[in-house]
Amino acid sequence: MKLNLLRLALKNIRSRRTRSWLTILGVLVGVTAVVALLSIGSGVQEAVLQQFEDIGYDIILITPMGGNMGTRSAEGGFMPGATTGGRLGGQSAPSGSTSTGTSGTFSPENLGSTSMDESTASPDTAMRDAFQRLSGTSLDTELLLTQVPQLLEAGTLGTQIHPIIAGTTSGFLRVSTPSLDFLDAFPSVLGGFDVAVGTSFTNTTENQVIVGARSAELLDIHVGDEITIDELPFTVVGILAASGETTEEAETEDSALSGQALTQNLGTGSADLVLSGLTNTDDSLFVLKERADTVFTSGVTTSVTITRVASGESISETMDAINVAIGLQEASGTPISIQEVADEIQGTLSLIETVLASIAAVALIVGGVGLMNTMYTAVLERTREIGILKSVGARDGQVMTLFLIDSGLMGLIGGILGLVLGSVLSLLGTRLLGPGLGVGSFSPVLDAGLIAGVLVFSFLLGALSGAWPAWRASRLNPVEALAAE
Amino acid sequence: MLAFDDVHKTYRMGETQVLALRGVSLEMAPGQFTVIMGPSGSGKSTLMHLAGSLDVPTSGTVSCRDVNLAELSPRARADFRSSDVGFVFQKYNLVANLTAIENVALPLLLRNIPTKVANARASEAMAMVGLEDRTTHRPSKLSGGEQQRVAIARALINHPSILLADEPTGNLDTATGDRILELLRSFSEIDKLVLVVTHNPEIADLADRLVVLRDGLVEADQLQEVASR
Repeated sequence: MKLNLLRLALKNIRSRRTRSWLTILGVLVGVTAVVALLSIGSGVQEAVLQQFEDIGYDIILITPMGGNMGTRSAEGGFMPGATTGGRLGGQSAPSGSTSTGTSGTFSPENLGSTSMDESTASPDTAMRDAFQRLSGTSLDTELLLTQVPQLLEAGTLGTQIHPIIAGTTSGFLRVSTPSLDFLDAFPSVLGGFDVAVGTSFTNTTENQVIVGARSAELLDIHVGDEITIDELPFTVVGILAASGETTEEAETEDSALSGQALTQNLGTGSADLVLSGLTNTDDSLFVLKERADTVFTSGVTTSVTITRVASGESISETMDAINVAIGLQEASGTPISIQEVADEIQGTLSLIETVLASIAAVALIVGGVGLMNTMYTAVLERTREIGILKSVGARDGQVMTLFLIDSGLMGLIGGILGLVLGSVLSLLGTRLLGPGLGVGSFSPVLDAGLIAGVLVFSFLLGALSGAWPAWRASRLNPVEALAAE
Repeated sequence: MLAFDDVHKTYRMGETQVLALRGVSLEMAPGQFTVIMGPSGSGKSTLMHLAGSLDVPTSGTVSCRDVNLAELSPRARADFRSSDVGFVFQKYNLVANLTAIENVALPLLLRNIPTKVANARASEAMAMVGLEDRTTHRPSKLSGGEQQRVAIARALINHPSILLADEPTGNLDTATGDRILELLRSFSEIDKLVLVVTHNPEIADLADRLVVLRDGLVEADQLQEVASR
């Protein structure tokens, strides 16, 4: 029934092309901002949650957080914020140090701990001492499985820092030490632990090392090569497939032996450890824990025990049981469930998304005000036309409807175009933001609800913005309207 | 059919009150070509607006077929204008962004008559005023005479019983003006009430009935024989 009015409104929009487009542009900008921010936000959330899902919501990590990791920064060693240059922070460098940094080598001479004995400690010993303080949870996983019957499996992943010599390059690198049961149960935590060239570990009696894709490439390591770890010869048995996830610093530094990349992974909280440290296999070397425990003289830097809860068991009850077990074993550590971490991160992301969307909504309101201004001016400009319409029999309601459709259509067109532009922007945005956010590649999420919501909202915004001008138009006295110039 | 009974109309223009009509009583019948004359400010246009229910009197009644137009709701008055009244203005009053045929079809479109039907009837109306080849032109591409004929076609599209014209030849040359007047006259011959407001004495000569207004009052009201009829 309103079809004829719709046609008349469309004709009017077309006949005032420039004004209409400028008004539509105002709405378009607002809708674009809202769509881009919301879809990127949802995309980030989905990508982050996907990472947790890949690891598994049935997993509980036991980190040394409550124990040694907590005291670490108080001792002045590995604050992530202290790593500004190519060197680690700390002002207590031994003045007579003989170590010199060469290209492609990380020199830990400045790696300071205020408590270390400057007169006797060599830089290497200082570093090892520092790492030794970060001892692991020292949980016996087999005992844990008997103490906590709700657990299906458990394994330990350690991370150590060792001096490495590969060919002519030397420096410190992260060496991950997964236990055999860890590799069996939780390969997904190490991105699948997919050996691209060579084999996986064949025994626990030989010095075998598996190298991450990026480290292998940068250090020119091949299967069969011999490299020195902690002054011991190791044979490279396998090279992992690239996971595509590298730390930001590693990408900008020339050398994989970068102290920054290393400490970033060590110096951040447990969620980051899961996200970038544990799952980032490209920069690491891998030695079996069973072997590492027997050959390496330096201590474990951090070790995380990973457990999987049997299906049907309550996560929180299992965590309570783990806490009891930690006490019984006189070990240290704090259980964290992936579910918990995921919930926490999702909550934060949702909050950020809401704040961003609110800011974008301001742009939308500005667009609405622009539309109202246009419609108000249109009523003034079209006063005579309103008079004509009334003289040929248009009812007040029809005049009002005509103006409402007019402004609603401009809102809707702005909404449709904003939706398209916002989608394009969010696609570009995710490409640009993906690496920076450390969630790898991800896609914006544009669900039917958002699309429908944006279209309905932009039409309503248009119609509401035009409501008052339209009402004024409908109330015009036809005689006065016809007299207008 | 259309009756004015002691109609007063007062306007407020800024601070001053304008007494446009000061007690006009008239009765007009269909089939009559009535011309209202008078100098500027005599109340001619006001009388026409009241006759077409574009406005309501301050006092007195304007009634059509014994219905007091002032007592109708705004919606019913709009419907009355749509079905019973056709307006022709001095300035044509066509909608600039619509084509000639769309302007003619406008009253039908406002009655939710499907576009196809409305366009067909508008075509007929345009043929009736001799503009069948100008249907897709916008008003700005038409001459003054053509625009006025479009306005007449629009006024007639709903087959109204009352045709009201306010200085319909005011902006036209004599020859074109004469053709327009002929057209208007012809409708009174098919039993419509045609009311033309003008201060052109030549039009007065064509009237069946001549009403002269001065200062908001009827100064003269006479029936006359028209030689050409």
